[in-house]
Amino acid sequence: MPLDAPFIQRALIEALLLSGLAGVLGSWIVLRRFAFFAHGVGTAAFPGLVVAGPAGVAPQLTGLAAALLYAGGVEWLGRTRRVATDAATGLALVAALAIGVILASDVFEAPASVDRLLFGSLLGLSDRDLWLTAAALAVALVLDLRLRRSWLTQGFDPATARALGVRAAVADPLLLVAIVLACVVALDAVGALLVTAVLVIPAATVRLVAPSVPTLQAGTAALAAVEGVGGLWLAYELNIGPGPAIAVLGGSVFALVAAVSRWR
Amino acid sequence: MIDWLLDPFSGSLMQRALAEVLVVALACGPLGVWVLLYRQSYAAESISHAMLPGLVVASLAGASLLVGAIGGVLVAALAIALASRDERLGGDVGVAVAISALFGLGAVLALSPDVPARLGELLFGDLLGVTGRDVVEAAVLAAVVAVALALAHRRLALSAFDPAAAPSLGARPGRWELVLLALLALCTVAAVRGMGNLLAVALILAPAAGALNLAPRLPIALALAAALAALAGVLGLLASYHWHVAAGASVALAAIALFAVTLVLPRRRTLA
Amino acid sequence: MAVIVRAENLAGGYAPGADAITGVSFALEAGTIAAVLGPNGGGKTTLFRALLGELPLRRGTVELAARPAYVPQTDRTRHDFPVSALDVVLMGAYARTPAWRRVARADRDAARATLERVGLADHARRHFGALSGGQRQRVLIARALLQDSRVILLDEPLSGVDATSAARIDELFAQLRADGRVLLVATHDVEQARRWDQVVCLHGRQVAFGPPAATLTTDVLRRTYGDELVILAGGDRAIAVEHHAH
Repeated sequence: MPLDAPFIQRALIEALLLSGLAGVLGSWIVLRRFAFFAHGVGTAAFPGLVVAGPAGVAPQLTGLAAALLYAGGVEWLGRTRRVATDAATGLALVAALAIGVILASDVFEAPASVDRLLFGSLLGLSDRDLWLTAAALAVALVLDLRLRRSWLTQGFDPATARALGVRAAVADPLLLVAIVLACVVALDAVGALLVTAVLVIPAATVRLVAPSVPTLQAGTAALAAVEGVGGLWLAYELNIGPGPAIAVLGGSVFALVAAVSRWR
Repeated sequence: MIDWLLDPFSGSLMQRALAEVLVVALACGPLGVWVLLYRQSYAAESISHAMLPGLVVASLAGASLLVGAIGGVLVAALAIALASRDERLGGDVGVAVAISALFGLGAVLALSPDVPARLGELLFGDLLGVTGRDVVEAAVLAAVVAVALALAHRRLALSAFDPAAAPSLGARPGRWELVLLALLALCTVAAVRGMGNLLAVALILAPAAGALNLAPRLPIALALAAALAALAGVLGLLASYHWHVAAGASVALAAIALFAVTLVLPRRRTLA
Repeated sequence: MAVIVRAENLAGGYAPGADAITGVSFALEAGTIAAVLGPNGGGKTTLFRALLGELPLRRGTVELAARPAYVPQTDRTRHDFPVSALDVVLMGAYARTPAWRRVARADRDAARATLERVGLADHARRHFGALSGGQRQRVLIARALLQDSRVILLDEPLSGVDATSAARIDELFAQLRADGRVLLVATHDVEQARRWDQVVCLHGRQVAFGPPAATLTTDVLRRTYGDELVILAGGDRAIAVEHHAH
């Protein structure tokens, strides 16, 4: 892998930034059981990604818009009380996928890029993408610093969390916002359907062995960095999408750790 | 007007597509009602996402997609079952790991060889390319699912409605939930050729959600779900033909649109 | 009088070495209403599950002249299920209907008759979830009646139930007892238990069994309820404080 090529360097920087996000937020996604939410946001952003190119807008923005539409849709469906939440999520996701497919293949006629959209273009990033990811990481770090106690308490003892007052009321929504931002910057790199490969798998792996939150976050960042760079290398050498490479690498490590830790 | 409705189906290609989608709809509709009643929408989506490697392997090996689908579903179910049993993580996280890892594996397999598998068709279906044999295979699977649901109807209802009293009334809930998941897997296999593994779940969830919105009683819900699914199939194919859009996606969106329509209709609480 | 339900040194639970109930011994004749008293977590539901054969680990003897019908607490049913009251009652006939047959006409008629017996004939077609708590409870009792078993287990059938339904259910109990059936009723209501034939006091282990006069003494109640007991002035009347799980 030619380390002096700018596109490789950008890819490496992005991988490291994403591993930071994986460490900070991925840990919370796993601890607070928001894995499906993250998966959903990534998937739901797909139609947004499709229109980004033709509209000449940053994919992160259109992806964000699509993700917000999806989140709003699920929330609204839940309010009607005529369909259960998990069904609403499933329906909204498949609607997003179907709309994305039609936009990609029939409206904008960009079938080749469907693969890219689904599996990422870590090797085709611009400086703007890096800045956006760095911004998302900064936001995540700040929120983590100020809200981690609320996030922890809310997860394990909601009654006490309520007693903590106003902060608890905004803490969780802000966590969800941070997750949405993280998903949105990750999806350009690893694709809409494999956002969880970066944000969830490393944290889940480390969670199997790490007892405390700080260890979890640090360990996850490290593991995500290794998997991100490793996946990038695999993607380059084998000419496959970076998202799938990272997913397979991450999944294998997870299976290994799970098997070993169970047999001890 | 009649021409608009009938012309598309004058050719054998569209007739096969119609047969495929109708046959699949008749199984997915009722099955979807049970999936919703058992709150297993995540399982439905997970299984279909995670079966990708099986499909890819079959496609690359030139084997029947049916075999690949069954293999894929078994691996997916196993992985999901193993992953969700780990108490350290909680069900959702383990399942998310399993799905993305398997999905990634499918993509790696699909994209790396010199002659890549036609990933788009595996993901989004190839409704307009189904052969007569595909339709027969789907019909057999759908029939198995439909008959099984009919025979298991009362036990499924008991286990979902009142798991506490179900054993004393003749049904052990754990067993029947497993039966449902097995039928879900079979139904997904039946639907995957035409709808693709990402969109198949639309025919399972949307018509059922619409039917449960409208139907006051279970047998009506089951029949209505089948009808809505079939209607979605027809409407989707019509849209695909007249507006030149992807067939599988059109059927999926038609199903969801029909569900959306049911949201504005009043809910029936008692029989007329 | 024939003994319909007998337990001898019944013990068991959900995990090895951690018995939820021990030392349960009683015998109930036909035409008996027996109260099962005890604090939450004291083993009432576990005892029922043992009698139903659903307890994973069980020692001792259980003899039943018939497979019991079971009325669990109504909170456990799904209120959003698309079923009418009649549909729910019909579930009582499912066990005796083979999978490939429709429910027999005789059973359908019996279901309607049973609904009438609990005073809900007019509500047969109503959505089950739309009924009041007391009405739902009566429907579940009707379902148990349709099973036509000589033994009926009821888990707190009167908790949270409105006065009309409670009175109706009380009447029904009397009819069933006259019919020769055996009812085991888990309850917190000590006063109600006094009006019935037998009482089983359970706090993990069986504290007492016998007619109310002999068993509902302050001493027994204290041993059954521990801290949850409130003694009224006068010394010989006690009220058990009901704790609801959160």
